[in-house]
Amino acid sequence: MHRSAATWIRRGIASALGVLVIAEPFTVPAQQPAGEAQLRQELDAVKEQLRRVEQQMRQQEELIRRLSPVAPPSAPAAPPVAAPPVAAPPRPAGAPAYTPDVEELKRMVLQEIQPQLAAANKTFPSQFNPAIGFIVDTVFSHSRKNKSNFEFRSAEIGFSGNIDPFARAYGIINGTPDGVDVEEAAIVTTSLPWGFTVKGGRFFAEFGRLSTFHDHDLPFVNRPLVLDRFIGGESQADGVEVNWLAPINHYVSLTLGAYNKIGADNDRVDNAVPRDLSEFTYLGRVHTFFNLTDSLGLDVGASDAYTPEVRNQGLKERNLFGVDLTLRYTPLSQAAYRGFIWGTEVLVNHEGRPGITPTEDTPNQIFRFKDAWGLYSYLEARLTRRFYPGLLFEYVQDFDRPAIYTRAISPYLTIWASEFQRLRLQYTHVETTMPRRTDDQFFLQWTAIIGSHVHSFRDR
Amino acid sequence: MRRMLLPVLAILVALLPADVGAAKKIRVVSTIPDLADLTRQVGGDLVDVTSLATGVEDVHAVPMKPSYAVLLNRADVVILMGLEMEHAFLPALLEASRNPKIQRDQPAYIDCSVYVTPLEVPTRLDRSLGDIHPMGNPHFNLDPGNGKNIVRAIVDGLSRNYPEHAATFKKNGDAYNAKLDEAIARWQREAAPLKGKKFVTYHPDLIYFAERFGMVQFGTIEIRPGIDPTPAHVADLIERMRQNKVDVVVREVHYPAGLATTIAKATGAKLVELPAMVRGVPEAKDYISLIDYNVRTLVNAVKGG
Repeated sequence: MHRSAATWIRRGIASALGVLVIAEPFTVPAQQPAGEAQLRQELDAVKEQLRRVEQQMRQQEELIRRLSPVAPPSAPAAPPVAAPPVAAPPRPAGAPAYTPDVEELKRMVLQEIQPQLAAANKTFPSQFNPAIGFIVDTVFSHSRKNKSNFEFRSAEIGFSGNIDPFARAYGIINGTPDGVDVEEAAIVTTSLPWGFTVKGGRFFAEFGRLSTFHDHDLPFVNRPLVLDRFIGGESQADGVEVNWLAPINHYVSLTLGAYNKIGADNDRVDNAVPRDLSEFTYLGRVHTFFNLTDSLGLDVGASDAYTPEVRNQGLKERNLFGVDLTLRYTPLSQAAYRGFIWGTEVLVNHEGRPGITPTEDTPNQIFRFKDAWGLYSYLEARLTRRFYPGLLFEYVQDFDRPAIYTRAISPYLTIWASEFQRLRLQYTHVETTMPRRTDDQFFLQWTAIIGSHVHSFRDR
Repeated sequence: MRRMLLPVLAILVALLPADVGAAKKIRVVSTIPDLADLTRQVGGDLVDVTSLATGVEDVHAVPMKPSYAVLLNRADVVILMGLEMEHAFLPALLEASRNPKIQRDQPAYIDCSVYVTPLEVPTRLDRSLGDIHPMGNPHFNLDPGNGKNIVRAIVDGLSRNYPEHAATFKKNGDAYNAKLDEAIARWQREAAPLKGKKFVTYHPDLIYFAERFGMVQFGTIEIRPGIDPTPAHVADLIERMRQNKVDVVVREVHYPAGLATTIAKATGAKLVELPAMVRGVPEAKDYISLIDYNVRTLVNAVKGG
């Protein structure tokens, strides 16, 4: 804008000067010789004035160029036809009129394009929204005993984001045929010193390994029976947890937690009513890792969940202890398409269970402490980037009558269309004793993820 | 009391770490060995560098070992490629490390992509395009010109954290980049036969190299980045490669050999195996020998060697 105005002024003045000079031969003879000197003097004064204007214009032009983002070749001013020579600033041949230093030029360019940058860099009210992911998990099942079913298992929405420099939060809302539930909603510190993190809210308590996996993240279709029965599905808990990474060269992580209860489907403890401190469940876990070779690693964990008094069971104590072992073979150069994982968890439950039914003669309920145990163990191979076959073995005793047990074996094949979509075929043979019952089940699972997807350390 | 003092002091001295009193080195954890080598060039004796990846891995599938969390817990700085190259393992490991000073956006989080002009920046973000990187293709380490940009970012990053050594970092960085300049001039001469040669890779990780040396990426064995090929894609690729006379099939050493071999045989293209990182093959001992190896191998292939 400035530049075109200056050019226009310059052109105008130069044209006027040209007209004056061209007109000169015609006007001079009309003058008397006495006035000739005066006329020449006046002409010189005009020339001097024009020279000053020209100089002033050049200075303004320099200024405009300094303020312009780039210095395109200046449009040549109308040549001052027969104009008298005016003093031009010395300029080396071929050199630009102005050569600012690089920093100055950068500053000028940025200053000039800032409005365009600001316009392009729009802001939205939703800009600070958390990352959002959506997961669909659906299964077709066929059972010899329970017939067939298309089972919509869940549609899950996950949110995660930093709260401030000190903590982050995440939430998982799960919709199932039974309704909508807040599966997890937790705050986790991110900047505590000395290797500590604190987690609070509703989350999956750090008991063992697969109890902290969401259903759709499990390596097989169904949660192992021992986790279902002893923990109550996922280790969902309302409470607080402190984790500490030991400051030594070997990986050792310690967790302590206190919760209303552990287990999403653990119906024996009411999550909603207030309770004595002795009715909380307290957790301790230690987890370590051995790098046996570059390709072979072993995770070992031990967890204990202790409830001093279980209200629904006559305020008797309950202790659930578990050991988990995970051996991973991952040849480094073929990590994406070769390897295997062997995972095992053994759980032992020790708790007071109602014994003989009260009678008039013996009105007090008699409790007996009973121990029951169970395990699962699976081996999964990675044959290609797509095909992961595996075999799962399970054994679990009944809480009340440990002599009764269930065992199952499940070969399965997971087919990864991509990192975000998976099909799984599984056959399960289940046997339960006293009375002996068997069942054969077939599953076809289809799981997909859209949106934000995080590779978490917990689910590795 | 005095009698006890001496033994107690002796025990305390014995428990002190061996390096107490010695100048403490800057503990650097890099994500890939290329960055480890370049950091050593810049930091010299001032740094003690460990790389998470060994060089043979697919950088998008580096295992998340808990022992890496321990390394990161002790790190003074972390040096990474950036452009989300390490998205599959680094964010989770950083969280598990409990080390607040190396978290993203902290001064000790040194992103080496800051001076790189990214290629293949997607104009549309959609998973139907594969496992794409929103900020552009992150495999810029294979272009030695970007090697210089990495060095510059490392000099900046280390100087930001240790301004007292900034002059040393700058001097070392400039000296190494001068060495790289000489090597680049040599590689440009040696790579003259590569100009205009068409190639297919398993994954699009050679595009910065191709841009530098004038090669033409014809396609990838993967159907999309991170998505394994289907039989229909392979058949189509073979057909198009035949029609367009593609010269070379590149198998990055961390991808399966079978399919690349089949495609090379079916099309008559020369099959070469290239590392994507330093130490990906024994000859690629450091950054310069990595580029040396890749240039030499490809030139030999197109010359029919």
